[in-house]
Amino acid sequence: MNAFLAPNDYKSPLKPIWCPGCGDYGVVQALYRALSAIGRPPHEIAFISGIGCSSRIPGYTTAYGFNTVHGRALPIAQGVKLANPDLLVVVAGGDGDGFSIGGGHVPHAIRRNVDLTYLVMDNQVYGLTKGQLSPTSPRGLKTVTSPMGSLEQPINPLLTVLAYGAGFVAQATPADMPGMTALIEEALRYPGFSFVNIQSPCVTFGEEEQQLRAHKTRMKSLASLGHDPTNQLAALDLARAYGTELYTGVFYRNPDPPPTYEALVRQRQAELQRGEPRSRARVLDGLSSRGG
Amino acid sequence: MTPVTGIDFERLTLRDALDLAILIEEEARDRYREFSEQLAAHATPEVADFFTRMARIEDRHRSELLERRQTLFGDAPSTVERTQIFDVEAPGYEQARAFMGVREALETVLASEIKAHAFFDEALPRVKDPELKALFQELRAEEVHHQALVKSELARCPEKPDDGEAYADDPVAQ
Repeated sequence: MNAFLAPNDYKSPLKPIWCPGCGDYGVVQALYRALSAIGRPPHEIAFISGIGCSSRIPGYTTAYGFNTVHGRALPIAQGVKLANPDLLVVVAGGDGDGFSIGGGHVPHAIRRNVDLTYLVMDNQVYGLTKGQLSPTSPRGLKTVTSPMGSLEQPINPLLTVLAYGAGFVAQATPADMPGMTALIEEALRYPGFSFVNIQSPCVTFGEEEQQLRAHKTRMKSLASLGHDPTNQLAALDLARAYGTELYTGVFYRNPDPPPTYEALVRQRQAELQRGEPRSRARVLDGLSSRGG
Repeated sequence: MTPVTGIDFERLTLRDALDLAILIEEEARDRYREFSEQLAAHATPEVADFFTRMARIEDRHRSELLERRQTLFGDAPSTVERTQIFDVEAPGYEQARAFMGVREALETVLASEIKAHAFFDEALPRVKDPELKALFQELRAEEVHHQALVKSELARCPEKPDDGEAYADDPVAQ
């Protein structure tokens, strides 16, 4: 625990304007605490987000922040990390931003294994635009865009990121603040792409049984089930219960994390610097000798 | 789920316990301030004012404990940190609602006082030091007193009228 940086040192003077009762208030508090525990000063941290209620998080921290465009937080965050690998990069956004508009970026960020933490505040609805179906909305959910109930099967964020090979996958809820704080801290410390699905209900457009009061009775910690977080197959099996069970904790943590993309890039750069500098003529010769 | 992490009550000293109690009041004060800001931003000024008053009350409790700590232990450093407590007396974020009434706000406060009482009640059997035990008993008794005060306020506060028909339509996308 850092003696010099308290949670409030990460709190910006900007006041959150989420609806009273929103789960995101707890998430941002847990973030301040997790960052305080890690002790990195705000100028060594960058928050990148897309668009949505939860994407307002960069403004509520004293770290660097970039509230980007809808669904494009991950590519921008990867660029930030590659440009300055010393930064602690945190991506924050909602389920629509991450799994609908930005869904195509998720597998590539995972397979590259850029060292960043992706926090998805999954509220199963588009809250900022007043309650339309989102990619994680449960089948049958009645919204303004599905007045008779959704006919679509929801995306399972946990299963998706596990299937793409993410090295750290966890789920949290603001109904368990100590647990969520510890998970965010662990994700931030993981060397590689880490993902935390935070069940952060929408108090205005969400279903009553999805609210934090209901979470308090529904949530089950994976540790209490005896789950071994290094067992990827068991993690996949448990992740299938998304939408029916509210499991909290680490689903999967790769016990032998592979090198990060930025480490490989630096290694390649070092190799190239050691070799004979390639003249422009030699590069052109190389291209023409390939026959086209 | 424990609202306190990394604290061994069996080894807790009187100084640590006072610091813990100060942090508990501080956390509650800060949460009520946040609630006040949230409700002021969501067109619920009367409840925002109520939570501001609650923040002042918690701050007063904090100052009283702080003074006692200062008298007994001066500026000796604290070994307890704010990061070790989670919503002991502070209401959870889920308790706030846009357009909530004063009665609901009072119910929120009452639930928080009950929660704080339960915390000291559960901690007491683990506390060995007699001085510390006395302090926790005192703090637990204060929570009972606070509950009584809130209950009397609740008795004077009218039930919120059923405003289910207040809105002509459900919220719709715009």
